[in-house]
Amino acid sequence: MPNLNINGRNMSVEAASDTPLLWVIREQLQMTGTKFGCGAGLCGACTVHLNGEAVRSCQTSLADAVGKKITTIEGLSAKGEHPLQKAWVAEQVPQCGYCQSGQIMQAAALLSKNTNPTKEEVVAHMDGNLCRCMTYSRIQKAIMRAASDMRTASATGSERRAT
Amino acid sequence: MNKHVKNLAPETTDLSRRSFLVGTAATGLVLGYAGSGIDGALAAPAPANFEPSVWYSIAPDGLVTVTCGKADMGQHVASTMAQIVAEELGANWKDMRVQLASNDPKFNDPVLGAQITGGSWSTMMNFDAMSRAGAAGRIALTEAAAASMGVPAGELVVRASTISHPKSKKSMSFAEVVKSGKATKTFTADDLKAIKLKSADQYTMIGVSVPQLDIPLKVNGTAKYGIDVMLPGMVYGALVTPPVRYGATVKSVDDGAAKKVPGFIKAVTLDDKTTTTTGWVVAVANTYANAKKAAAALKIDYDGGPNAKLSSESLFAEAKRLQGLSDSGEFFVKDGDPNAAFGTAAKVLEAEYTTNINIHAPMEPMNATAEFKGDILHIYSGNQFATRSGAIAAGAAGIDPKFVVMHQMWLGGGFGRRLDADMMVPAVQAAKAVGKPVKVIYTRENDMTMDFSRPLTYQKVKAGVDGDGKLVALSHDVVSAWPTQRWGIPDFLSPSVDKKGPLDAFTVNGSDFFYTVPNHYVRAIKNEMAHNATPSGQLRSVAPGWTFWAVESMVDEIAHATGKDPAQLRVELLDGKGKNDGGAQRLRNTLLAAMGLAGYGTKKLPKGEGMGVACVSSQERATASWTACVAHVAVAPSGEVTVKKLTVATDVGTQVNPDGIRAQVEGAALWGMSLALFEKATLKDGGIEQTNFDSYTPLRMSQLPEVAVNVIANGEKATGVGEPAVTVVAPAIGNAVFNAVGARVRGLPITAEAVKAAMKA
Ligand code: FES
Ligand code: FES
Repeated sequence: MPNLNINGRNMSVEAASDTPLLWVIREQLQMTGTKFGCGAGLCGACTVHLNGEAVRSCQTSLADAVGKKITTIEGLSAKGEHPLQKAWVAEQVPQCGYCQSGQIMQAAALLSKNTNPTKEEVVAHMDGNLCRCMTYSRIQKAIMRAASDMRTASATGSERRAT
Repeated sequence: MNKHVKNLAPETTDLSRRSFLVGTAATGLVLGYAGSGIDGALAAPAPANFEPSVWYSIAPDGLVTVTCGKADMGQHVASTMAQIVAEELGANWKDMRVQLASNDPKFNDPVLGAQITGGSWSTMMNFDAMSRAGAAGRIALTEAAAASMGVPAGELVVRASTISHPKSKKSMSFAEVVKSGKATKTFTADDLKAIKLKSADQYTMIGVSVPQLDIPLKVNGTAKYGIDVMLPGMVYGALVTPPVRYGATVKSVDDGAAKKVPGFIKAVTLDDKTTTTTGWVVAVANTYANAKKAAAALKIDYDGGPNAKLSSESLFAEAKRLQGLSDSGEFFVKDGDPNAAFGTAAKVLEAEYTTNINIHAPMEPMNATAEFKGDILHIYSGNQFATRSGAIAAGAAGIDPKFVVMHQMWLGGGFGRRLDADMMVPAVQAAKAVGKPVKVIYTRENDMTMDFSRPLTYQKVKAGVDGDGKLVALSHDVVSAWPTQRWGIPDFLSPSVDKKGPLDAFTVNGSDFFYTVPNHYVRAIKNEMAHNATPSGQLRSVAPGWTFWAVESMVDEIAHATGKDPAQLRVELLDGKGKNDGGAQRLRNTLLAAMGLAGYGTKKLPKGEGMGVACVSSQERATASWTACVAHVAVAPSGEVTVKKLTVATDVGTQVNPDGIRAQVEGAALWGMSLALFEKATLKDGGIEQTNFDSYTPLRMSQLPEVAVNVIANGEKATGVGEPAVTVVAPAIGNAVFNAVGARVRGLPITAEAVKAAMKA
């Protein structure tokens, strides 16, 4: 039985190795925050992190995920307080909300490497994530807000370290 | 069509039978209409086990839970209902909670008498009922508090879930009053009607952008949609849908290869007496991945049926043929005599406007979970029309609709798609066939090719202008499938003015605009061929999404033909005469607001750029939100259109949640742009050719223009905002393209090829 490391826990699952990771996460592990939208890598609703990289779980087989660190929306932060999640609430981003786990996971991968992205970098990074409710402008604002919050936090953090 | 749906009329207005129930029980205070009249209400004030059969309850801890009978698909309607209740109740926003109603008729819309969410109706039609429910609760709590404190109720002040007596400085929280068990009071319908509601200047909640109650659940993955339902012992169904959209039959199913798929249980060929689906097979297995593998392994032989050769071209050709017949269709508007007026007009313009098939494609693919438990069929699904969908589920099961319980979930997008009930049929029949709960999930390919789409439309508009350049006659033929007639519910049809029989007003709404035109005909013509081959549905904004495309393009064409500024011509036509008094002036003002905000006509634009205007009274004359748009576009020599900015103004009367309204208007405007430029589905050999987001391509972030939204709240009745802005954008863009490069495009979507061809012409 394959073992998955998901949100910091090891879990054994029972599924054929070619099963898309998406369905293993949703059905076997009953973590339904990760969504099915297209099954073809075209919408981003199923985005999770594999070793910190944003990937489409509908296009990732169970075999490819074994031995890697998987993070889903449920594991992005302990209490749902990742700067992006806070920014998403502050900007009142979600409408139906269905795409938003994927949007947040996609954005988190960007900010983990670059907390000062330009608007063009945000658009280029996010363009594969569809939002049928068309919340794009609020998504952009929330990413910028979270980026700025992260910069402030790390600045105060290093000041503290300096003193 | 569907015999299981009873006429929806009887319950619509009979509020007199209902009394408002206030009673305390172990679970707290419950308030709402009792369905069975005052005697029943008094006999059973509230169940000890809380049953969500009323609008809201207050628990002993002071939390107020509002039960929302409307489908919440991202418009935050549950939160809006809570906000209206909270205003009159005097509750603190942090104490408000929401839950979604089952299909118990007690949760029927107080105006519509059914559970249906659409038409941008919800706020408008529930505002009064929720306000009175909130006020009744405040009165009951205040009287109880007065008794406890020994002070006159009239001296008490209610604010932020606290009832206080300023003179004695005594106060009680809602929680304390509920715990006291003294809040008991019933209100008859007349009592409710007599309650004096707050005036707008007394509002402290309505008009405030309080945070939407559903948003926290939607940033941490905990919001439960239909697709997330898990039941003990549940198995999964994957669909195999035929190559033809409608009319195919299954000749044979060979499950030999499917049987080799581990976990495969059964292939179920649907026997759909509700006629919602044709030729569908469900592969049932222990997991969805296995169900999909089994579905792919099934070998199915079809008879393509009567529509197997049809294409978009044949539907357009049939539409043209029907429009050319003098006795086609029924009249929706018949003022004066346009044909006579054309004879004496100085100038006559004629044009054809078309729109292609459009697909809803909400991000959550269609799905439903069905479970038979004893006599009861439980359905778990996010649905916009529980009243009818429950009946379809019953029809699929062969049981009486009263044995169906619909468990409402958050909707991962609706846009009208979830008014339909097709997903009930495979879930119910698969669950019945395997004797286990079954969750059926459509693949995106199933979802797109079996959409109840926005119909392909063909419109012919003829306009007559007199010697002074005044528009004196307009005739407008609208040919389309009839989405609402398909429901088989007579109450949703409208009588025609020529008494030829009922017509589907949801194909012509909007064409009865607020412009003053003395001679005006509108004919609604049903394209039977399209109706049968592409069963159509209600796609965000429905008819005004195509009627205003035609009307607002033609008004621009008239302006250019008579040498007038298109915006100025609209202002002249909105003179507020006769039946247009009131609405016309509001629309004129909205148009002027949008023009002002966009800087229309104030600056010279670079070559290849242009601004275009449009204004609409969507959705219906009686429920209009007055909406105007100025689109600013840049057109490349290749014909490619880039939208630089959309400026939208909308008069919504009263705004409950301004930030929520802005989100809806922006989303709707971007839908309008997406339909105008990027979304096109086509029929070929009876099937929809587009199968996923590579071939059907809604707007993405990189195509996002600047959007400026101006909401006008002038104290009139609250109107809806989910749809109207969809309808104003396509004509505004089309008109802007003309102003930019002189290319008039009359078909949606506006493609680079069409613009380029029109530039040359
Ligand atoms: S579901 Fe994976 S990209 Fe759409
Ligand atoms: S919020 Fe509905 S799809 Fe993005």
